[in-house]
Amino acid sequence: MQQKTITVVIDQNGDSSVDLEGFAGQGCDKALKDFQGDDHAKVQRKKAAFYSAAVDSREQNLKSGQ
Amino acid sequence: MSAYGEFTTVMSEERYLVEGLRAMGYRVEVHAEGAALVGYHGDERRETAHVIIRRAQLDSASNDIGFVRGKDGRYQAILSEYDRSIGYGNQWLGKVHQHYKESQTLAVAKSKGYIFRGKEVIQTANGPQIRLQFVAR
Repeated sequence: MQQKTITVVIDQNGDSSVDLEGFAGQGCDKALKDFQGDDHAKVQRKKAAFYSAAVDSREQNLKSGQ
Repeated sequence: MSAYGEFTTVMSEERYLVEGLRAMGYRVEVHAEGAALVGYHGDERRETAHVIIRRAQLDSASNDIGFVRGKDGRYQAILSEYDRSIGYGNQWLGKVHQHYKESQTLAVAKSKGYIFRGKEVIQTANGPQIRLQFVAR
């Protein structure tokens, strides 16, 4: 299982970027929210693995008849 | 990889502001109800602030630097024109925000159960960036 890592970069103005790897679905949203705190979002996007993991999960559910 | 976000830091929690200023080497006064700032003549000014760096730690002609909590809960800096001109301007405020965000990120990550893996300071043309790494359980 891929390790879930979070990289936070804080620039010279105190603004931050948060990069999540190995997360999928709601766990991804929660982690991003945890590190956002009260800060204002400038950019937020899901990356390819988020969607492929969501599709994998749906396929699993179909195969198992859920 | 799964998600990416960029955020503008909002200073809304006193403890991280105080921790950040202390990390920058300042002794900080905290006043729950606010206290008057002192000007460079030693005169008490009309402005009050909740978090204060007294002028003795700054330049001999400096005024106190204050951070006042607004109605929206955010802290705003009170800086004189003189102090802005001698190195306590936007670049310095950026550094305050950077230390605030570092303190906040480390504390929040710990409280939410993320495991801290390390800190790296990266020198860039615009100034140092702080890189913090965590893993989720």
